[in-house]
This record gives sequence, C-alpha cells and structure tokens, in this order.
Amino acid sequence: MKRAAAVLLAATVALAGCSGGGDSGSADGATKSISFAVSDPVTLNPGRQTIAFAQVKELFASLTFVKSDGSVTYLNAESVKSSDAVHWTVKLRPGWTFHNGEKVTAESYVKAWNTVAYGPNAWENSGQLVNIAGYDALNPAKGKPTTTQLSGLKVVDDLTFTVTLKSPDGQFPVQLSQAQSGFFPLPEAAYKDFDAFGKQPIGNGPFQMVGSYTENEPMTVKRYDAYQGPKPTVDEIVFKPYTDMTTAYTDVQAGNTDILFVPAARMAQVKKDFGDRAYVFQGLGMNYLGLPLWDKRYQDVRVRQAISMAIDRQAVSNVIYGGIWEPATALTPPGEPGTPKGLCGELCTFNPAKAKQLLAEAGGFSGTMEIRYPGGSGLDDLYNAYANQLRQNLGIKDVTATPTTDFPEFQKLRNDQKLSGPYFSRWGALYASQQNTLRSFYTKAGGCVNCIPYYTPQVEQLLAKADAQVDPQKAIEGYVDVQTAILKDFPAPPMFFEKYTYATSDRIAKLAEGAGSLELENTTLADN
Amino acid sequence: MARFTIRRLIELVLVFFGVTFAIYAAVFALPGDPISSLGGDQPLSPAVVERIRNLYHLNDPLWSQYLRYLGHLLTGDLGVDFRGRSVAERLASRWPVTIRLALTAWVIQVVIGVGLGLVAGLRKNTWIDRGVLILTILIASVPIFVMAVTAQLVFGVKLSLLPIAGVTDGWPTSYLLPATVLAIYGLAAVARLTRGSVVDTMSSDFVRALWAKGLSRRRVIGVHVLRNSAIPVLTYLAIDLGALLGGAVVTEGIFNLPGVGQLLFESIRVHEGPTVVGIATALILIFLLTSLVVDLLNSLLDPRIRHD
Repeated sequence: MKRAAAVLLAATVALAGCSGGGDSGSADGATKSISFAVSDPVTLNPGRQTIAFAQVKELFASLTFVKSDGSVTYLNAESVKSSDAVHWTVKLRPGWTFHNGEKVTAESYVKAWNTVAYGPNAWENSGQLVNIAGYDALNPAKGKPTTTQLSGLKVVDDLTFTVTLKSPDGQFPVQLSQAQSGFFPLPEAAYKDFDAFGKQPIGNGPFQMVGSYTENEPMTVKRYDAYQGPKPTVDEIVFKPYTDMTTAYTDVQAGNTDILFVPAARMAQVKKDFGDRAYVFQGLGMNYLGLPLWDKRYQDVRVRQAISMAIDRQAVSNVIYGGIWEPATALTPPGEPGTPKGLCGELCTFNPAKAKQLLAEAGGFSGTMEIRYPGGSGLDDLYNAYANQLRQNLGIKDVTATPTTDFPEFQKLRNDQKLSGPYFSRWGALYASQQNTLRSFYTKAGGCVNCIPYYTPQVEQLLAKADAQVDPQKAIEGYVDVQTAILKDFPAPPMFFEKYTYATSDRIAKLAEGAGSLELENTTLADN
Repeated sequence: MARFTIRRLIELVLVFFGVTFAIYAAVFALPGDPISSLGGDQPLSPAVVERIRNLYHLNDPLWSQYLRYLGHLLTGDLGVDFRGRSVAERLASRWPVTIRLALTAWVIQVVIGVGLGLVAGLRKNTWIDRGVLILTILIASVPIFVMAVTAQLVFGVKLSLLPIAGVTDGWPTSYLLPATVLAIYGLAAVARLTRGSVVDTMSSDFVRALWAKGLSRRRVIGVHVLRNSAIPVLTYLAIDLGALLGGAVVTEGIFNLPGVGQLLFESIRVHEGPTVVGIATALILIFLLTSLVVDLLNSLLDPRIRHD
C-alpha cells in the first residue's frame, strides 16, 4: 500500500520533471532523494547545535574539510596559513554566497565567531573558540564582559581575516573542519532572530532548507544550485527523526528510510541482516576503561596493566559488536593521522598469565571491584563482559557491573570522584587530529570529558610542544611522544578503536566514507 | 449530586498542588546536573553551564523554584525547557498524537473486548468460552515490547503492509499497528471482565424471573443483562481511557510516535523539571476528571449507587 503510493508519487515527480522544466531535478528527470535517520536536532544553529552534526554539515560549508583518509583540504577557505602557529591568515574563496544570495565575506566569519564566543549568549559550542586571543575577555568569571569583540580577530579585506591565538597551535586548520560548527559563518539575516534562524538556517553549504524545521517532523534540504564547492551526487536529503534508533533500524530494514547509523544494540546482527548493505567506517571514537586513580587500590601501575591484559578485547568485540570494533593498540583512534598503532604493545594484548602475575606482584586486589557505567544507554552487555573477564582472568572473586540511573548521575559521581572501580570512558573526536583525543582525556582544559583524571606537567609540556609545530609531520611525532610518555604511567587501559557502522535500504548502491562519519551528500543511489 | 461534584472538585485542587510539588521535588532530587549533560558527548565550558543555570534559577533553593513555577503556572504559563523551547507548545504538538493513539486503541478494545466477553459469557463453558480464556491469557502474558517488535517485523518488514514508525502517513495508517498492540493488553482484561459480569448477571435471581415470565431471549439479554453487566465494564473502560491518554511510553517509543508518553520519558531522562511537571499536571487532571465522570455515569446507570 505504502510502496504503491511511493511509486505513484515518484512517477508524478518524474512526469513533472519531464514536462515542467526549470525544476532543479537532474538530467534523467527524477529527484535523487535519500532519507537519513537522526535524533531530533533541537536546533540547527551551528553555534548551538550539539546533536545536529549531519544536518549542519549539509547546510553549511566549513573553511577546511577533512577527508576520510585524514587529509586536510580547503573548502570555503582558499588558504589558512601561518609561519609561527600563533598568527593565522585565512583567505576565503571568492564568489561564495549564502542561500539567500548574501556574499560570504571575512565579516561573515568574524562576526559569527564573536557571537559564538560572547559569554552572555551562553552558546553551547563556544568552547571550540577558547584558544583565540580575547576569548577570556568575552567570558569573565564574574559580571558582564566589557567588549563584544575577540581581540584576536581582524578583518583585512573582503575575503581575508587574521586570527591570533593565545598559544601556538599548528592544528588550527584541522579545527576549522566540518564537525566544529562553532567556526561556521553566519549571514546577516541570522542576527535578527536567532530562534527563527535555529529553525530555518541560511547557510553557505551544498544544501538549503525546504521550509523550516519542526520538532519531531521530517526535515528536507535540497541542493543549492549556486554552491561553489564540490557538487553533491544527490539532489535532496530528508532527515527523519527517531527517538529510538532500534526502531529506525527496523524501518531501514523495511525500506521506509534509506540510511542509518547503526546503534550499538544492533551491531552484532547488522551484517546478517543487511549483508553488503552494512558499511563499517573508520571512526574517531576512542573507548577506554576509566580507572579511579583516586582510589588506593589502583595506584600501582601493575594493577592497571593487569586489568588491561586480563581482558580479551577481540572476544568481547566478537560477542557484543559482531567483531566490528577493533581492539585498541594506541591512545588515539586510527582515523587521526599518524596514530601509532601497536604502540601499546603487550600492555594491550590479552595475556591472562602475565596479568595474574602482575597483580600478584602488586600485592593482589582486596575487596569488590565495582564497575560503573551510565544506564539506559545500551552499555550493559559491554560492561558485564568486562566484569566476567576480570573475574575469570584475574581471579578477583567479586567483580560487579552496575549502571547508574542515567547519564547525569554518572557524570556527577565521576566528577565528584565517588566511583570506586573501573568505569565508562570514551570520546568521539570532532576533528581528525590526535590533539583532540589527547587534549580531551589528558588535559584539565579538555573539559574532563571522561576524566580519568590523569594530568601531569610533563604531558602538558609535551602536548604544547607538539601543538606548536606548523609542520604536520613534526606535530605527529610530537603527539606520538605524548602517547609514549602517558603509556609509561598507563593511567587507564585503552579498549577499542570505535568503528562507525551504517546500514542502508536497497535504494542505495554505495555510501561514501567521510572523516569520522559519512559523506551523505555523495551517496550513490541504485538504478531503479 | 451537585454537592458531590463540588466536593470532588475541591479534592482535585488539593491533589493538584500536592502532586505538582511532589513531582517537582522528585525531579529536583535526581542526582546529576541536567545542564552539563545538555551538550551530549561534548563538554560545555563551566562558564556556559553556570550562565544557563542562572538563567533557569537552578541555583535557587527548591521552594523558591517551585513557587516561581507555580506563579507562572497560575497565569497559564508552563515556562520553557532548558533549550528555551516553550513547554506549552511542545505539549500542544504532542497531544494530538497521543489522543489519536489512545482513542484508536480504546475503540479496538471496546469493540473486540466487549464482543469476545459477551460471546464467552453467553456460551459459558463451551469450547468458545475456553478458547477466549486461553487466547486472552496467552496474549496478555507476552511482554509489550516483544509484541510490538514482532508486529513491526511481520507487518512492516516482511509483509510491507503498514508503516513501522512515525506519524507521517497520518491517521489511521500510522496508528493501526501501535494502537492494536496497545489495545491487546486492555482487551484481555475487558473480555474477562465482560464475561464474568455477564455470567454473574445471567445467574442472578432477577434474570431467572425474567426467563420465567417468558420474555424473549433477545429482550432478556439485549436489555436487562447487558445493562446490568455494563457497570463494572464501563468503569474499567473509562479509567482505561484515562490511562491511555496518559501516553503509552513503551509503545510510543518503539513506534516512534511523538506523543506525550515519549516526551515524558525523554524529559525524565534529561531531568527537564518544568516539562515533567507540566505533563504530570495535565495527566493528573485527565485522570481526576475521568474518574469523576465514571462516578457520575455509574450513578446514572444504577440509581442504587448514591453519592452523599
């Protein structure tokens, strides 16, 4: 019944395309439309969104663009250059426009960044701009800021602006890539009413809004013909909101939705259900087993090493994630260029005999080992598996895995250091640089994402040294040095390089891999 | 009657204040900070968190927050959630979905449940009666999410007959599958209750007297038995409608219906105090009103029931 309606509709559209002309449909007449399952985005304002990455990436174009192999290319920028990693000059490509025809200029960026960084606005992505000079003046500890402009930003001409950073950062161009939406430009029209803009944003990207976004309703974007970047292969993308991604999974199976990011609960069966319509992409997610370094029992490095070597990562992945997740052998995911795979060596290799021996040398383990993780997030299987492995392979009698009520409670227990055992710890990087993962886990300023917490002056210094390199190769060497230093202390075992898994309906012939996601706009449709 | 109604209305006001405060306090007492979780995986900078907390007066003591909320509520203002969206608007967009789902499920329950119950009750101890008994017990013992997921796989994936998720196909197509799954559980109870009631009435003295008077079967059953068996069933059905209107958290979740139940679930998960209390208040009102209507209805059906 539904199928018939869809066919009828498609036929009508095709007919209209043939007879009408002037429509934005492609040469063969039919609009190439795909649908993608998402969570409700809440807002599409790039300075505020925290779960609408897929949508804003199609509506806006970033200055730089990281490809799936980790290489950095320019998109809206012609160049982003610096000789000292502190003073950066950004040159824009000429001829770019917002969807309402307004020109994209240096001012579109500078004004937007000032707005995102302005403290009283309290925009969620403000933290991405923290290293620009003048950020602190816009975010005083008390009271209202005395200025509204970042002192580090200067407009040079229509298409050029300069950025001064607080500390040298050779990774700045990577930070300007597609998932760091705090750095996106805003058109003049946005400033009139940000609430309205969040529902119907006007971007500079390959797609523009059709109508506006309404909570829990599908949202459509269509190709923007004046877009100056690479031409997308599809004409239209429909974002369909789901509260439960396992429902979306079934809906893709039924062919009602085309593409979805497979939830953890379905990873064990996705290859069986979808065959070659299941795609496994390199992720930027890094999964650790956090350890409570504030608890005496975990202060001996041999205990921490023993825990790492007592868990058979491949077996856990096989049972719970269908073998899709890759056992971690470094502190950063392989999607970040130069990640030293294998650096962790035998410490990340399953070796129960050695693990037991190390634990014995450290004086054994007393009491209950209480693993904690946020409840209601589909993590139960993973942490129960860890508990079983530690019980069997380390000979610790009482190992429990207990969920908290929800994520806020977990966060509070962890931040207050009220956890007494191993715990959930992960970070999905927003840009493909080892810097992002290392900063998030191992610096105080990283925001204590899943704080282990392990902060040492030595790591800070080595990170700063690597950050200061403008040459990407030298920077990579620097970050590897950081990892080597951290591994000596082995604060917490790295567990998995997360893989991002997608599944499609039979309307899709091929998905295009992106950096830490997919390039939705370059999806290939099946010919039928 | 009027006195009874007024008394119930006064009770309603008291319950209203008690419940809103209890729920407000419960959400307030949940461990963890809803604001720092706003960013999902991304950490928000402490300055941003602090500013948002101040914006929503989250640093004030509980009583002051509650009074402020109550003050707004009395002027009809349900406030905004932590993302700045109007709670009233969000609720308004959710009610139509839940009402459609509830009414569809309820009608299925009434038609099939009462029908099965009548047949079983009138054919007491035959294979039909036993068949209905076994069937309803079997169905009612399957967990709802198993039933829902199975229905999705069979009717959505394998047969491609009905949509699995969302409301984009409109009523009734989008609602048939979830409403049926939802109805099945109430249905078993309605059928059992109707059967029992009919059996009781059939064996009561006044029905035997009617048979003895020589009234036709049609008249005995159609008028006297039905009316007298209706009271417990009707009470159940009315309360059930109230419960259905409260939103079916599991069903709305699995079928991705943006209804009130789903909103309530999401809001509790992210500690959205204002939204939770807003929904709870509305639900309490619905529940109190339906039970009031039931009481009034009962006294109309059976003049022996007096309220004074």
